[in-house]
Amino acid sequence: MSRQSTLPSRVRPAPPAPGPEHGPPRGVIVLRLGRALALPIRRRSLVVGVVIAAVVLVGAAATLSLGNLGVPFTQLPSVLSGGGEATDRFVLSRLRGPRLLVAIGVGAALGIAGALFQAVTRNPLGSPDVIGLGAGAGAGAAVAALLLPDLLPVPVGALIGAGTAIALVALSTGTGLRHPGRLIVAGIGVAAMAQAFTHFVVAVLARDEATSLATYLNGSLTARDWEHAAVIWGALALSLPVLVYLAGPIRLGEMGDEVSETLGVPAKATRTAAILMSVVLSAAAVSVAGPIAFVALTAPQIARRLSGAGGPSLVLSAAVGALLLVCADLVVQQVPVGEGLPVGIVTMGLGGIYLGHLLIREWRKGSL
Amino acid sequence: MSDDASTSVLAARSLTLGYGSDPVVHGVDLEIGSGEFTVIVGPNGCGKSTLLKAFGRVNRPMSGQVVLHGRDLRTRRTKAVARELALLPQSPVVPEGVTVRSLVERGRFAHHTLLRQWSPEDERAIAEALDLTGTTDLAEVPLASLSGGQRQRAWVAMVLAQDTGVLLLDEPTTYLDIAHQYDLLQLFARLHRGGRTVVAVLHDLAQAARFATRLVMMDDGRVVADGTPQEVVTSELVGEVFGLACDVVPDPRTGTPLVIPHEEPVAG
Repeated sequence: MSRQSTLPSRVRPAPPAPGPEHGPPRGVIVLRLGRALALPIRRRSLVVGVVIAAVVLVGAAATLSLGNLGVPFTQLPSVLSGGGEATDRFVLSRLRGPRLLVAIGVGAALGIAGALFQAVTRNPLGSPDVIGLGAGAGAGAAVAALLLPDLLPVPVGALIGAGTAIALVALSTGTGLRHPGRLIVAGIGVAAMAQAFTHFVVAVLARDEATSLATYLNGSLTARDWEHAAVIWGALALSLPVLVYLAGPIRLGEMGDEVSETLGVPAKATRTAAILMSVVLSAAAVSVAGPIAFVALTAPQIARRLSGAGGPSLVLSAAVGALLLVCADLVVQQVPVGEGLPVGIVTMGLGGIYLGHLLIREWRKGSL
Repeated sequence: MSDDASTSVLAARSLTLGYGSDPVVHGVDLEIGSGEFTVIVGPNGCGKSTLLKAFGRVNRPMSGQVVLHGRDLRTRRTKAVARELALLPQSPVVPEGVTVRSLVERGRFAHHTLLRQWSPEDERAIAEALDLTGTTDLAEVPLASLSGGQRQRAWVAMVLAQDTGVLLLDEPTTYLDIAHQYDLLQLFARLHRGGRTVVAVLHDLAQAARFATRLVMMDDGRVVADGTPQEVVTSELVGEVFGLACDVVPDPRTGTPLVIPHEEPVAG
């Protein structure tokens, strides 16, 4: 007639060991190198990452080999190693090669930028676009292309425009880039101003030259060269050390400043660094491809659902971003209806649908 | 003085705290000795949670300082502090899609370096934290689907995994039913007996008196009484600080003071 204990944990004696010698838990692989390196990687994230990389490779091969000028699949290895026909080498090294590398780099940069921004603003609808970065870049590009065509290259103009927009946002919040809520409100205002300015330039000052700019303002990968590829991959390489450092802290940052501080994360410094990296990466992306819409918004959300770990993943966001842009660019290059469109129109169409889905979901959850 | 310093783990030195420009805590001096179970009590808005957060380095002092093991908290790195002191927050944000285990893993952040983010020691600390809080069987369950009591245990497990000598608890029993409240307090008492220094903010005077080795009573941003539960929980002090006319009788089981209010407080 023993009474049933409601709290068995009280009488349970020694802690049960989870495995021999406290090994890593189920589903986690520890990447080791002597005593210096021990990084836990979840098996599911690894599998998802490898699968996305494989699909990106397939998309890349399709980008290079489909269509009129395409280099046939079977020829790809020999052309890549410097052999094959001259036209094929030209297509690869001058046309589709750099364009593909720009697409992958820009997609990855936007994915990371969005993941950082969403993590530190704790807002699934947040992205650098929301704080007026794309609009500022557009205004800068309009000035460069239409008012100072000989003085200022368009990408540099875009970069200056993006920088000016962010500086204006930082100034008008009164708290720099620290307060996510104010950042978004100020960003909406600055974006509206930048768009008005762009329209003014396009419609009033330079009506004739404006059509050539329309493509750029929608985000385009047409006629990208190695310089563009160097800019975006350079930005990715330079930001890598900071991103490695930020990966852990931004995950804890999701729990709010108080909790993450007491767990050992300097919350304010982390947020400032993350927003800065987000701005740098999206500005680099804008300067080489124009303001491509929605990749920064959607890639981190898709990555989060695929990883199933509950938390931002920079690596998977980069992979998903690259995949989205490579696929969208493939549509633009090869699908009859999409042919010739700026790639930003395709991402805007797909992203708009996704944004609608997100909004409805948030609304149903009651958090909007 | 030097004797004091050798056993003092955490200390407030003429500490003034506040939000904006209005001080909530006025020049408090308080030494927390090693191995004490200190409970801070006081009426709503007396500054007890604000003081606890300052001990946890979450609130920046307006003046004065908080000293941990003889060194000013502000001069120390966030991560180094997090290896010595853990704070259980009051109503933390639940991260989306997180399981109990991955929450508890987050407690290990301060013990990691850039290149070493896993060790057998992590696994031991996590297993122990899950076991002590009775959440081992819930490890793979999403936090969002747990009951209030289970969820609070998961947060406690996260803080325990941090493996610190000092535990700060900000109203850890709020929103729990009475059985879960005592269950959790008993866990903290066990941890205290195991050698940890515990500082908690509690609302319930009977619970505070029953579990604390030392009671600190605050009123209007100042410490008004400091001593054993018997010294602090008296009908005079409770009447003066809480404005509640009452008798204080010994708890029939433990002998610790128990507050018996005279009548329902009349508004106005």
